[in-house]
Amino acid sequence: MTTRGRRSRWGAAALTLTLALAACSDDDGGEGADPTSEDGTGGETEDSTGITLVQEGSALAAIQERGSVRCGTRDALPGFAVLTPDGDHVGFDADFCRVIAAAILGDAEAVEFVDLATEARFTALQSGEIDVLVRNTTWTAGRDGSEGATFLQPTFYDGQGMMVAADSPYQTVADMDGATVCVAAGTTTEGNVASEFSRLGITPTEVLSFPEPELIQDAFIAGRCDGWSSDVSQLTGLRSEFPDGPEALRILEDVFSKEPLAPAVADGDTELAQAVEWAIFATIQAEEFGIDSTNIAEFAESEDPLIRTFLGTAEEGGTFDPGLGLPPDYAVQVITQVGNYAEIFEEHLAPLGLDRGLNTLWSEGGLLYAPPYR
Amino acid sequence: MSTAPMSPATWVRHNLFRNRRDAITTVIAAVVVGWVVFQTLRFVFGTARWEVVRANLTLFLVGRYPADEQWRIVAVLIAAAAVAGLVTGVLTKRRRRAAIADDAPLPPLPFARRLGLIGARYWPALVLLLVLLLLARTSTPWVVAGAVIVAAVVGRLVGGALPPKVGIVLYALPVVLPFVALPFLTGPLGWDDWGGMMLTILLATVSMIACFPLGLLLALGRRSTLPALRGLSIGVIEFFRGVPLVALVLMSDVGLGFFFPRDALPGRVVRVTIAFTIFTAAYVAEIVRGGLQSVPRGQTEAAQALGLPPVRMMALVVLPQALRNVIPALVGQFISLFKDTTLVFIIGFLDVLSVADNVIQQPDFRGQGLFAESLVFAAALFWVGAYTLSRESQRIERRLGVGSR
Amino acid sequence: MFFQAAVLAAVAAFGLWLAGNLRANSEATNIPLSYDYLGQPARFPIAGSSFRIEQNVRSAIIVGVGNTARVAVVGIVAATLIGTLIGIARLSTNWLVSKAAKTYVELVRNVPLLVIIIFSYKALFLQLPRPQEATRIEGLLVLSVRDIAVPWSRVAEGKAPAVLGVLVVAGLAAWLVARWRRSVFDRTGQPARAGVASTAAFVVITAAGFVALGGPVDVTSPQFDEGVVSGGIRMSPEYAALLFALVLYTSSHIAEIVRGSIQAIPKGQTEAATALALAPGQRMRLVVLPQAMRIALPALTNQYLNLTKNSSLAVAISYFELTNITKLSIANRSPAVPSYGLLLVLYLALSLTIAGITNLVNRRLAVGDR
Repeated sequence: MTTRGRRSRWGAAALTLTLALAACSDDDGGEGADPTSEDGTGGETEDSTGITLVQEGSALAAIQERGSVRCGTRDALPGFAVLTPDGDHVGFDADFCRVIAAAILGDAEAVEFVDLATEARFTALQSGEIDVLVRNTTWTAGRDGSEGATFLQPTFYDGQGMMVAADSPYQTVADMDGATVCVAAGTTTEGNVASEFSRLGITPTEVLSFPEPELIQDAFIAGRCDGWSSDVSQLTGLRSEFPDGPEALRILEDVFSKEPLAPAVADGDTELAQAVEWAIFATIQAEEFGIDSTNIAEFAESEDPLIRTFLGTAEEGGTFDPGLGLPPDYAVQVITQVGNYAEIFEEHLAPLGLDRGLNTLWSEGGLLYAPPYR
Repeated sequence: MSTAPMSPATWVRHNLFRNRRDAITTVIAAVVVGWVVFQTLRFVFGTARWEVVRANLTLFLVGRYPADEQWRIVAVLIAAAAVAGLVTGVLTKRRRRAAIADDAPLPPLPFARRLGLIGARYWPALVLLLVLLLLARTSTPWVVAGAVIVAAVVGRLVGGALPPKVGIVLYALPVVLPFVALPFLTGPLGWDDWGGMMLTILLATVSMIACFPLGLLLALGRRSTLPALRGLSIGVIEFFRGVPLVALVLMSDVGLGFFFPRDALPGRVVRVTIAFTIFTAAYVAEIVRGGLQSVPRGQTEAAQALGLPPVRMMALVVLPQALRNVIPALVGQFISLFKDTTLVFIIGFLDVLSVADNVIQQPDFRGQGLFAESLVFAAALFWVGAYTLSRESQRIERRLGVGSR
Repeated sequence: MFFQAAVLAAVAAFGLWLAGNLRANSEATNIPLSYDYLGQPARFPIAGSSFRIEQNVRSAIIVGVGNTARVAVVGIVAATLIGTLIGIARLSTNWLVSKAAKTYVELVRNVPLLVIIIFSYKALFLQLPRPQEATRIEGLLVLSVRDIAVPWSRVAEGKAPAVLGVLVVAGLAAWLVARWRRSVFDRTGQPARAGVASTAAFVVITAAGFVALGGPVDVTSPQFDEGVVSGGIRMSPEYAALLFALVLYTSSHIAEIVRGSIQAIPKGQTEAATALALAPGQRMRLVVLPQAMRIALPALTNQYLNLTKNSSLAVAISYFELTNITKLSIANRSPAVPSYGLLLVLYLALSLTIAGITNLVNRRLAVGDR
């Protein structure tokens, strides 16, 4: 009898320790943060977590306190974000991360890039692992509504297309009855292919989705699929980097979906959302004013009141502060450190062979339109 | 096995051509084996283009660890070699003394014979080391390898010369080493940017160390007579043994974050380590439970008769015996864990497998179908590690078996 | 008692802390924790199935369970057969055979399964000829990077119940014949050939039944026409690569188990069998293996569970089994925590099912023993 009692007490001690351990292992992780095990087991769970989560504007304040923007992106999408051997992120999306950092913190390099897998992107946003998602992500109602994300001003208006081998018989998507199409898993493209094929009254043999573009490329080269469907901008980028040379591939003319690629922040973060949105507007507005990183000095003394307000130049009644939580000269920082929309586009997307298409200013028939800054 | 030396002809007749059926089998097998061996050799020394491995050797081994901080790795390697040498030295000396005490002194082996034994025991690791050195483009790796070997030899000699009382203290070294080495290595980098073989070793080592106490407690909990505790332990153990590790790894990446307060979210490496730790702890718990059951009842009874309180009885009598018996199984579990760390490939970490998969996309190597080369190299790295460990575990098993019976 | 309560309280508090975090995070991010998403349209296609994107997430997960079962069942059977053969080969007196088997086991066992899977997909199955240049053996095999097709049988429409009836009758007859032969053996000690007799009974009755039904089962062989394969049964390279890797890896573990179990059979058994003038093959088949398998079964069960769980590594190569579909559905707006929760529960259920079946077999085998 005694044996039993004693042994069981052992077990009890064991479990207590287990718990302490489990709680400790949490501590190890919380780089700097420190939820002690007492907190954890104390029972004031709701308040201790609830406060930090819903506090208004905490994200923007947290960024300012931290001194860097955690920007979710990817490491291998030519033109949008590519990781160089030196560990730099280069591309259109990467530059918009810098735009945001320049606007909020005045330092375009104050970005922590977080490379995310497709299916991890929204959870990273939801769990607060990243502040803002600039990862070639299509704005859809479903995502806006049920992924806990708030989508902002699109940085790129895209559409889905189809790429085939140059020597294949297909001229349009309608020719592709019975074809095998490869797409990236977890993107809007999967559903779009199926919808488009059924709209055209044809059926694909298979729509194969792969977790990463590299794998699609391997499969495509091997002849596993006839078509490779994705956003036209992505296809253009992938084609430009294709191992057998871009001539080996052909992008069909059909564009069969609307894909506004927009940055997103977590739901309930109005302040951060506004800051990010106006950072993007600044690049568009600057292009409209004709201000770029090379000539911005000439505008410092501009007489145009709209430009003076935009650049945060001191006026008679003081400096204009719209109350967005951004420094008054944020547009100057964005333009000098990164550039205006046209510059970013020309640097990263034009070399792939993309033309501006829908992504020109409204005044030139495009969709880029920044609300007035006043 | 063979007692009397056989002439080659007898050997062949006995082992390959015993009767007609045997002869036919041999011929068929010889054709198949010959073809496989031929193809393998042709691939390794002929058709394979190893340049992709050669150019990315650093990436395979240490990922993106900054070049001007790599001296830290060298320092840790040398320290590890020295510690390993020291402990071997002390152990050998102890064994010698024990043998002398038993009136069966071990005759000292000639140096060449000893080298031969080491070669037979560690040939895969030695071959791999040689291959790595031959692939290396600079002379630094040679110097490092030399320094590591010198450290091991010096450690071994010092360990052998130390008085036994000091020697015992040295057992603490291998336990302490990871706790010193890890922060030292992490210093310039943080946790989230590890890569290559180093990431693999980091994940496996940290998870194994972290899971052990947890597994031990779960095992004790399962043996407890308190129904609630036993039920809880059984529940935890069986749950984590019943689900695939992949699911836990995926969940650590996109689901686990929900269980933490938002401002205390651990990094990705830590989250995945938690997944590995909990998963392995469930298996370790079962191993330890097996060990506890293997301790004869008489031992506990004897301890009680001596009036030992239960905690001391467990700590001083039962556990040491139980753990000694399960060392081989624990090594086996570590091997599994070592191989399972490749799962982080799925969530996009830059581990060995991921490096192997990525390097063939580099501009110089893209589209040349070099999968076989880089994957075979990655497989070889794992194979050498796992095979060496499993052979060591068999050695321990044999030695324990001899000792306890 | 006090300890128990304290520990339970601590556990409960820890659980509450986790649950509190979960709820707070769910509220803050507006991500529901309910299972309503199961009824939502999936919006993603599943390669290799007739699943339509309008169907709901629940159906997608059911497709996933089916695909997991498809790879697990075939994999378990194949790995057991190959593993047993290699385990026996490992103990062969033929030096070459035993060394080759040993090399196979040591080589495969010590390499991570995921490496094998990716190797198998990218370096083997993706290197197969393009569809237009498929390797083919007329009527037997078509092999290309898109299709791996072999002959298969198909039950003619509307005749499935009749075919099933014939099979049941034939099976019953085979069982009766086997019983009868065994009782003859028990009475007379004459070689009864129960296996041969019952197989013959099964074949004869099935054949007669099929003739009577007018050929209700068509054997279709794969036809190749300009890169398009029809007829037979088709495997995707993703499925084939996963299956190949799982069988390769698991069989190396099973080989070790079988070897250990055979070695555990007392030598006296083999000697007794030899004394009864059984041929080496019969000795293995009739005396050693049945006993060895009984010993091996618990360990084999573990391997079967591992194979089933390991099939989730398909996420690396786009075969859509349970885990991959869960991953896909999370990427398509299913909430992560409930989805993974469901995934874990489903795997537990699968594990328990397999463990249950093997336990049943185990108990049945053990009855006559002790």
